[in-house]
Amino acid sequence: MLQIGVQTQNVISDLQPDTGFQLLAQTGFTCADFSLNSYLSNSSIYRSDISHFFDRTGQELETFFKPHKLGAETAGITISQMHMPYPLYVSKGSSELNDYLIHEVAPKSMVVCDFLGCPYIVVHGFKLARFLGTEESEWAQTEKFIDSIAPMAKEMGITVCIENLYERFGRHIIEGPCCDAKKAADRIDRMNEKYGAEVLGFCFDTGHANLVGIDFEDFIVTLGSRLKVLHIHDNDGIGDLHQIPFTFTRNRENTSSTDWEGFVSGLRKINYNGVLSFETAPVLASFPQELKQGVLEFLSRIGQYWGEKIVE
Amino acid sequence: MNLICAQQGIVSLMHPEQGIRDLKQVGFQDILLDLSACIPPTELEHYVMNSQSSDLGMNFDTEERSLLDRQKRRRLLLKYPEDLYAFLEPVLGRYDRAGIKTSIARAPYLQGTAKKDSTRQFMGQFVSKCITACSQAGCSGVVVRPLDPGTADCDIWEVNRQYYLHLAEAAKGTDMLILLENLSRDRNGHLVRGICSDSGQAASWVDELNREAGEERFGFCMDVGTCNVCGQSMYDFILALGSRLKAVVLRDCDGIRENALLPFTCVDSGHAQTDWLNLIRGLRSVHFDGSVILNFVDTLEGFSPILRPELLGLAKAVGNYFIWQTELERLMQKYSSIVLFGAGNMCRNYMMCYGNKYPPIFTCDNNPARWGTEFCGLTVKNPESLKSLPEDCVIFICNIFYREIETQIKDMGISNPIEFFNDEYLPAFPFETMERD
Repeated sequence: MLQIGVQTQNVISDLQPDTGFQLLAQTGFTCADFSLNSYLSNSSIYRSDISHFFDRTGQELETFFKPHKLGAETAGITISQMHMPYPLYVSKGSSELNDYLIHEVAPKSMVVCDFLGCPYIVVHGFKLARFLGTEESEWAQTEKFIDSIAPMAKEMGITVCIENLYERFGRHIIEGPCCDAKKAADRIDRMNEKYGAEVLGFCFDTGHANLVGIDFEDFIVTLGSRLKVLHIHDNDGIGDLHQIPFTFTRNRENTSSTDWEGFVSGLRKINYNGVLSFETAPVLASFPQELKQGVLEFLSRIGQYWGEKIVE
Repeated sequence: MNLICAQQGIVSLMHPEQGIRDLKQVGFQDILLDLSACIPPTELEHYVMNSQSSDLGMNFDTEERSLLDRQKRRRLLLKYPEDLYAFLEPVLGRYDRAGIKTSIARAPYLQGTAKKDSTRQFMGQFVSKCITACSQAGCSGVVVRPLDPGTADCDIWEVNRQYYLHLAEAAKGTDMLILLENLSRDRNGHLVRGICSDSGQAASWVDELNREAGEERFGFCMDVGTCNVCGQSMYDFILALGSRLKAVVLRDCDGIRENALLPFTCVDSGHAQTDWLNLIRGLRSVHFDGSVILNFVDTLEGFSPILRPELLGLAKAVGNYFIWQTELERLMQKYSSIVLFGAGNMCRNYMMCYGNKYPPIFTCDNNPARWGTEFCGLTVKNPESLKSLPEDCVIFICNIFYREIETQIKDMGISNPIEFFNDEYLPAFPFETMERD
């Protein structure tokens, strides 16, 4: 049976992290995707309005997150994956900002990941193709960044996971970094061979894939065992809404417009044995507080349903 | 590059005269011979779904058919596709008299899937006849959409391999290229990537088909709107196809629905909804020299027929602009020496992207404070210096006040060639932009 996880954002509070982890356990989750990115939000990074949370030393960060670690352990929740703050490079940002992101935020995120005993950390590749002209030159910059944290990853036994992202044209979304599964697979193999360890893996984001019409099954099968973690969420194919799977329909028959059959089939074909992790924090913001528990139970139930389908 | 206008919404097969006149008036010289307008997907689908032969009622011999009215003859084309050329002849004759070519055709296609063997066989035979008619009409290429078997049990490649190789037989002995096209797939109302949307795979299909046909019979036609709906990076899409790309269907849409709008008209809050930058970058990278098929039928339908001549004029200008942008570097190659006019962002962008390959002798600017200074490795001179240029030296205007500067240069009595440089679709962009005056 596959394990089921969910984002900690909107569930776990810094004041009483143990309560949130207990709630996750009560609602059927065994794993958590630790939302480290919520300590330095992407909107604040784009505004160059840095929260200075990561000014803390590694030791201070460990002290800060000690209650979280204990809360998870007590509740029997495994922190199975983590999201590094993003973006890690702002094309029109100052060199101070970009230096801070790469030389402070990224390595300290690795320290927190290691401290929480988390095996996977998800990073966003740099979005630079518009400026540099090609996806290859964009990847070269992302690879340089991965090279900067790969030795830490190897030493800590952490796999850094790149994620399929999108670019925006007005309100229209098109594919962004890491949307070519073949290229991603080749790059992951090359990096891992270079470091002699599994320093790089992939995080498949169902919502992002749906936005750019990617064939889920084909993408997952192409990645194979390089697929380490998931960001499961749903949308209408137009906006990145991070909603509950099976929510969206676009025809009069009201059948799901997201290819969940392909998703399950792909995971079954590669014998996926990782966590079915939901990236659905916005759902918890949109439902009333009184329904939070019910929403979490429903999400974990969907995970269990898929778990049965994938291993059957 | 060759600019082709899609026929739908402009030239009626029943009453072609006015549409042809409108096209000629604005300077279109090539029109897509759209056989899916003769035999629309819905009619084709209905025919193959309903026992094919009996659906159209009585049988007619050749002579009887020739005496029927044009609408009835059109309907009978499904049953007697060998009549297609004869049916098209009057329209083709009018094109010919207007000096309009039909270098590319589009074959009829099914809207839905071809699940049954019998449907696939019918399509093979029917489209073969269409190819023969296209060849008689003087077309050098025909866009044939792949068949979607619509079931996971079926090998999509094998179905299409057989289909296309059957069509290759019909094209044998002609110079007709059969062009595969990228499709979207309807996932319960959400359009996602369909057959030939993976351009790497599409390229290998084209290669394999050519290998099996024993000649270069197949190429690819990229539908820009389909790429946009599927959220694809058009730069990477084009690069994977390389020289196999022979035609591009140029249309705008909102990235959600399959509309065919005039390029640059689908905007949201001032932002284009199609990634023109990566499309133009891609076409430049593969030195695209094929056909650009402008399809804006939905824009046409939205305008009153009274405004159609003006709209067609705009469409022609948009098509010309698109080709000009794509061929911008070829324009630089044309001249033995170059000077620039303007010493701002656009000049800096020229130097960043093309300065090494096509180095200008100097630049000039209307601001006297800049004269004698250096900018991006160029001396900034008084525009008066343009008077002593060698005769064949081109002046590239690097300033958005193109027409004003062009008039200024001409008023100075300078007869050197003048061209516009444009930095909207550069191969790369600087991270920082200087403040404009």
